[in-house]
Amino acid sequence: MPSAHPDHRYRSPSLAASVIIIAVINLLSAGAAWCDSDAARQIIQLAERIDQEIESQNADRLPRQTLSDAGYLRRVTLDLAGRIPTIAEIKQYEDLDLPDKRLQVTTSLIQSPDFAYHQRNELDTFLLRPLNHDREWRSYLLEATKENRPWDSIFREIMTPEETRPEDLRPTAFLKHRLGDLDKLANDSSVIWFGVNIGCAKCHDHPLVDDWKQEHYYGISSFFKRTYRSKKGLIGERFDGKVKFDTTSGESKDADFMFLTGTKVTEPELSLDAEVLKQYQEQIKKAEQDDAAETPPQPLFRPRQQLVDLALSDQQQRFFAKNIVNRTWARFFGRGIVHPLDQIHSGNPASHPTLLAILTDDFINSGYNVQRLIHAITLSVAYAQALPMTESDSPSHGENKLENQSDRGVRYFQHAEPRPLSPHQLSLSLLIATGNPEKTAEQISNPDWEQDRGKLEERSEGLAQKLEIPGENFQVPVSEALWFSNSSEMQNQYLGGGKDHLVGYLNEIEDPSAIISQAMFATLGREATSEEQVVLSKYFEQRNEQRVDTIKNIVWALVCSPEFRFNH
Amino acid sequence: MNFSALEVSKEWQLQEILFCLAINPNNDQLWFGSSDSKIYQQSLSNEDSERISYGESGHSSYVTGMVIAGDTLISCGYDKKLIWWDTNSHEPIRNIAAHDKWIRRICVTPDGRLFSVGDDMQCRVWDLKSGDLIASFSDHAATTPHHFPSMLYALALSDDGSSLATGDRVGHVAIWDSHSFEKRAEIKTPDLYTWDPKQRRHSIGGIRCLSFSPDGTKMAVGGMGKVGNIDHLDGASRIEIFEIGTGERLQMIEDAKHKGLVEQLRWSPDGKFIVSAGGDHKGFIAFHETETGKQVHVVEHSGHIHGLHVNFQTDTMFTAAHQRLAKWSFGQPKETAETTPTS
Amino acid sequence: MANHADSGHPKQSDSLDRRSMMRLMGSASGIGLAANMNQITALGESRLNDQLRASGKRVILLWLAGGASQLETWDPKPGRPTGGPFAQIQTTVPGIGISELMPKMSTHLEDTAIIRSLNTKIADHGTAYELMDTGRVKEAGVDFPHLGAILARELGNIESKVPDYVSMYTSTEGRRKGSAGFLGGRYNPMFLTDAMMPENIQRLESITDTDHRERAELRDTLSKLFARHHSHPSFEGHNSAYGRVRGLMASDYLFDIEREPESIRAQYGPTQFGQQCLVARRLVEAGVPFVKVARAWWDSHGQNFETHQELCADLDHCMSTLLDDLKERGLLENTLVISLGEFGRTPSINGSLGRDHFASAWSCTLSGCGIQGGSVYGKTDENGNTVVEGEMSAGDLYSTIFAALGIDHTKEYMLGSRPIPIADFDSTPCYSILT
Repeated sequence: MPSAHPDHRYRSPSLAASVIIIAVINLLSAGAAWCDSDAARQIIQLAERIDQEIESQNADRLPRQTLSDAGYLRRVTLDLAGRIPTIAEIKQYEDLDLPDKRLQVTTSLIQSPDFAYHQRNELDTFLLRPLNHDREWRSYLLEATKENRPWDSIFREIMTPEETRPEDLRPTAFLKHRLGDLDKLANDSSVIWFGVNIGCAKCHDHPLVDDWKQEHYYGISSFFKRTYRSKKGLIGERFDGKVKFDTTSGESKDADFMFLTGTKVTEPELSLDAEVLKQYQEQIKKAEQDDAAETPPQPLFRPRQQLVDLALSDQQQRFFAKNIVNRTWARFFGRGIVHPLDQIHSGNPASHPTLLAILTDDFINSGYNVQRLIHAITLSVAYAQALPMTESDSPSHGENKLENQSDRGVRYFQHAEPRPLSPHQLSLSLLIATGNPEKTAEQISNPDWEQDRGKLEERSEGLAQKLEIPGENFQVPVSEALWFSNSSEMQNQYLGGGKDHLVGYLNEIEDPSAIISQAMFATLGREATSEEQVVLSKYFEQRNEQRVDTIKNIVWALVCSPEFRFNH
Repeated sequence: MNFSALEVSKEWQLQEILFCLAINPNNDQLWFGSSDSKIYQQSLSNEDSERISYGESGHSSYVTGMVIAGDTLISCGYDKKLIWWDTNSHEPIRNIAAHDKWIRRICVTPDGRLFSVGDDMQCRVWDLKSGDLIASFSDHAATTPHHFPSMLYALALSDDGSSLATGDRVGHVAIWDSHSFEKRAEIKTPDLYTWDPKQRRHSIGGIRCLSFSPDGTKMAVGGMGKVGNIDHLDGASRIEIFEIGTGERLQMIEDAKHKGLVEQLRWSPDGKFIVSAGGDHKGFIAFHETETGKQVHVVEHSGHIHGLHVNFQTDTMFTAAHQRLAKWSFGQPKETAETTPTS
Repeated sequence: MANHADSGHPKQSDSLDRRSMMRLMGSASGIGLAANMNQITALGESRLNDQLRASGKRVILLWLAGGASQLETWDPKPGRPTGGPFAQIQTTVPGIGISELMPKMSTHLEDTAIIRSLNTKIADHGTAYELMDTGRVKEAGVDFPHLGAILARELGNIESKVPDYVSMYTSTEGRRKGSAGFLGGRYNPMFLTDAMMPENIQRLESITDTDHRERAELRDTLSKLFARHHSHPSFEGHNSAYGRVRGLMASDYLFDIEREPESIRAQYGPTQFGQQCLVARRLVEAGVPFVKVARAWWDSHGQNFETHQELCADLDHCMSTLLDDLKERGLLENTLVISLGEFGRTPSINGSLGRDHFASAWSCTLSGCGIQGGSVYGKTDENGNTVVEGEMSAGDLYSTIFAALGIDHTKEYMLGSRPIPIADFDSTPCYSILT
């Protein structure tokens, strides 16, 4: 398979040999044993199934281009560890002469502390971040990702925290920040956990999607209607409360508790007498206002609990499992097997229905094991496809590309699409890229890396909060370009000339071409092409004074490139 | 006057907002000015008798102030007019476009000079009989320090009629000789003006009322203390008492339990007590010792009080408030630890 | 997001219901699936849009945050129990009176239309803000672009060297940024809060201008080399953002009113709102298609009349000065000036002499581009409690705004395979106030 970068050849930068050796040893010991296990074999088989299904839809027999080693390592490190690989890691991976080196490296990355942090950040962005930044919640997520907690457990903990983790307020954040708006709570939950946006079915049966009627919208809404939060922060359920809605024919109805499958739950008749009910309602009201009030009793019938049970017992549509499989897939490919991600319905078929079914089966049977799914994806050949190469002289976007090969290729996962780095990926990668590469390599190979990675997360938080979370039509906003171009943090903190920084490290090197080489590897993970060599060398030569500034500017130009900004 | 026994003895509920009232020396007739731009006359000897409205050829906006002088009633309003009325015929005698902006308050000296203040920041003096303008003067800036149009809310006469005080939005009080119209003194109460530069970028408050002590040596200033959320009258009601000669502030009285504006102040004839009335979305009447600033009594009222009539000799009190006219009595003395002396 | 007409599919006709249309378009069309605005823009632009851009239409939105009282501005009811104390003054438009608190505007209505009949029903700040800044009720799961983003896209130039959506909101109360929603980050606002200069728009002192420029050129050269073998709209969008940096930096002077002659600055006056209106004029003069100037905070639950004495004086002066200034510079015929809040205020007056939130019968104004000056649309009852004639929704207002600017108000954006009209369903422009 041709490599993605035409003039790519690795030329080793000079790094302390000890650092490289340690990295290699760590890689091999960490995952070597596991790679021989049954679990590993199953994952490899799953990856092969993925490829079979993708290939079966490759009707055009489009030529596929696999990533080079360096390309694959950058992509998979970003996707599994949430950061770019270091020079040492690139070197070590390229030199690794094992037939199953991808298995080795993906295993190592998944077992590293980085994985849990990155997975945590992805989950946070998906579940809460656009609404609120909550440190306690993030610490809860980190615990869950560290132990690879099954997705159905996480679902239960977040959606019915009072049942599953009554002493722990942290997972309540999901509900807490949506409780002020029943519509938002209901639709967000439907989108996030089931991949179904029913918002359009609020005022009338969904105009575009036959599956969704008002009944579905209000059916889901009903499950949340009784949820309240006490002043102490505990989530509870009221004893009564129904959602009423007006149909388009003007009829006023009480909504049933109905799941997306149409399955209804009938509430048993309330056996409390009116006085007792009133008393409980008073207690709830008091608890909502006074944090010294006693925790009120819970009703026997708890709608949210019912919703969770329904979602997990749904064997036909399997919205819950299908959704997370689809979303996880989209994380690594830039596009879901069902796309858009919140449009799982009969009028929007999957591009690879068998593939989705296989992955969903495996996911459920493995006990909702997200790590396993991720691992299989990253081992597939489909994942390791390069971006399509374009002819150097073709226009950047042709005139009639509505249904061209490129678009079909993306839709059928024949080749990759660039994916913008998430705010955390970008912020962390910027820290690593502009740090002293030897020091960074040492840190990562050190047993203390877990804590140090945590500290790096803290340091990256400031910039991460400034950056926009990529959505469906992500474009880099100009405010980001302005920040990179003119902020004092960028100029002084990231591009600082001290010993802890790449700029300072490079400034100690005599030979400009070695500087260029190191700078390229540190930031873009590869050697400069001959054209790039020319451009950068010329830039160096033209600036006789201010060597440090020259180096700063080169590093700046590299980290501000689209190549750095995207996962490709 | 037995403050602690104060209670409403009769209340009339209306649709309108009542801003001011006046009572004749015989105490048998009451007039009040309304947001419906009319003046109403009510018999006090026969409280259930029909009210008489003075409306035709009258004001075209809120009636904000009134005074009684013999058989004549003079009123002022947001329509920038001063109107003289014959209280027997209930007809207007004279109608003057008196100010360039909304008139806030008027008062009259025993020797027949009428004073008015309005948001054109002018204090104007009129001959009571002829309606002629005698003088127009000001010591109040037309705009606030924050470049917005200011207001001149408050006006007071000393008991002997020799001094006059005017007070504005930003907390500036000027004290004048009421004959020569020379400024004699000034007092600053900047805390009564809250400017919010950050959240809402406008102001609230102002000096809403002034009152000379009976001996003319002190000045009581009423308004509202500092406010956090200027969307509402959400600050403690506030009275400040100054020594006029030295400008020294003698008392600063705040009540955070009764928020809003102090709209009216009256000293007791012996100068020992001060009565204040006002409110936020509700009303209050409070009694404080002037020597110590201590609150001796406060009662709440269901409407924000704009106008007040107190007669210490006859123990009479009436209030004009938001949708309310009330007559108050000082009833039987209550059994309290402190017995308030009658004056 | 292209018009149907541009897709090669038949233009949507009345005989095709939406659902059939969607089946026709289906998932086979590349339009709905293309993930990037840049590609669509290149494909989908009609000649009309090009003409629109060529004629340089601009919008200044004076955002009366907190809800200004229509009774103390454009629709007074003097003498009524709800009218408050202020009189009505006659304007230069025969038969039309406005509040005496707006004397300058009373002689400046020749280019202004007053709409008195908004009934938008939503009376809480947050939801009403969403409604009035997007023209539709917020739908869960759809990130609808705010007016500034829509107009930046429709009126702006994709490679513009000046910002295309500037929003000034200095007070902290009710401050909301506005978003480009599904139109993408390209159309996010340049949002000014505490400082009048946009963030990061000025070069640091520690780098010379030459270095800054050469560094940017180096970046650009390297990116072009990369792009030769890896072409994708995402990379183009990235380069485009950097490509705009120097231009935006060069437009920093637009925010500096010290560059205006003293006489002009004196005309706008010393208040912050006046200064920001002057910045707005400078921006539209330089080609910025949309500027929002927020004047917060009108929420006079207590002391409504005192508060409006201050705020109306500010609005009256600054708005009339702005209109005069635009007119003198020949800009008014291509600039639409909107004064609008999230709702009006209750006709009934509460105990603190305040007015509360009210969205059933309230007012706004449109001036300049495409507007029939001296017109009034809609009527409320004698107390101002209900609309009796010409009821308009937020969608209708948006249709009117688009029509005034020559934008097809029935135009639709494609969100996946779902068409979303830029003005809410079933809304129509108010033609009687349009030229």
